Amino acid sequence: MHSALKNPHPSIELLRGAVEIESLSGQEEALAAYLVNAMRARGYDRAFIDEAGNAVGEKGLPDAAHTIVLLGHMDTVPGHIPVRIEDGKLYGRGSVDAKGPLCAFIEAAARACPPTGWQIVVAGAVEEESATSRGARHIATQYHPDFCIIGEPSAWDRITLGYKGRLLVDFTARQPMGHTAGPMSSVCETVVTWWLGIQRFAEAFNRDRKTAFDRLLPSLREIHSSSDGLYDRVDATVGLRLPLDIERADLEQAIRSAAPQAPDLEVTISFRGYEPAYRASKNTPLVRAFLAAIRGQGGRPGFKIKTGTSDMNVVGPVWGCPIVAYGPGDSSLDHTPEEHIELDEYLRAIDVLSDVLIHLVNPLP
Amino acid sequence: MPEVLVAECPECGAEIEVTDVIEGEIIECPDCGVELEVRSLNPFVLELAPQEEEDWGE
Repeated sequence: MHSALKNPHPSIELLRGAVEIESLSGQEEALAAYLVNAMRARGYDRAFIDEAGNAVGEKGLPDAAHTIVLLGHMDTVPGHIPVRIEDGKLYGRGSVDAKGPLCAFIEAAARACPPTGWQIVVAGAVEEESATSRGARHIATQYHPDFCIIGEPSAWDRITLGYKGRLLVDFTARQPMGHTAGPMSSVCETVVTWWLGIQRFAEAFNRDRKTAFDRLLPSLREIHSSSDGLYDRVDATVGLRLPLDIERADLEQAIRSAAPQAPDLEVTISFRGYEPAYRASKNTPLVRAFLAAIRGQGGRPGFKIKTGTSDMNVVGPVWGCPIVAYGPGDSSLDHTPEEHIELDEYLRAIDVLSDVLIHLVNPLP
Repeated sequence: MPEVLVAECPECGAEIEVTDVIEGEIIECPDCGVELEVRSLNPFVLELAPQEEEDWGE
């Protein structure tokens, strides 16, 4: 057990306070104010809420030649989980995804003393859990970092190198009502036809692809049918998790081509939430700093690649700098009713991050 | 002349010669393709690089 767990600890209080503040996507104001106050109390040189609503703290001179951005997110998915500590675990919505990683960033950067020429930025972004990623898109325009760490749960001894991409597709079909005993297909069947076409395309694309990261993974998310007495209508949404090497135009064409056609059948298909997949290099000073720091804490490091998306998909292609995602916690608990974080692991991750920052700003000769 | 560093691949036993590497760098065994991490330069030590796993996260 981490020695700090024996007594109330400011890092645990910081996290518990953050988890107790509800912060659904688009409703992050109260948490942003709390985190900005926490960063001011910890001696950050500047701490503020930016134009997008992100909570930002900076250490070092703003015109420093080198910058490290630690980009977490403040928002959570819905679902109230009573906040409590039991058996060294903090339960609550957002405890692992991703207030634990974000608070670990705040604490690690608070310990850091960036030398002349370096600036460390901690940002808690808004709207990571929605398809907009509004906070990260704004941060991407504000900095040009040398290194970036994304705050998502990887486990304290794991380093996340990549995320799949994403595309959401909205489908609507509408046709004049007919008697159910008649020869016309029901409008609901058009979704089935379309979905099976998408599945066939994915199966063909995935032939000889063994890993989930390399495969195209479609999922049928919603179907809703309705009628106004004159027309039958069906709406559906499909989500696709994208590999690195898929062409967006080809995919969209295949999805459009899968839609059935019939006289009097009106079909509309629209796309949203596109993020390309992103995979970072292993051979960077940032990865080497993490490997050394995890080993320094007695761990045996490993890498992860994830089937979801994160703000790495947004800022990675823009910045093109060495980047990883890191944070304490078990991501299989993301969005679940049992969401919690092991406090011992949370504190250990702060130690790892502190060591990483020291490695990065004081590179070995 | 850059110094030539020599070590054995811990996976397949192939003799690996490299120059101009740094500690922590990840290289590939030219024989078996496994990823190897340069754990130290003096002495020159190669170990299997940390494993990569898939995770259904975020």
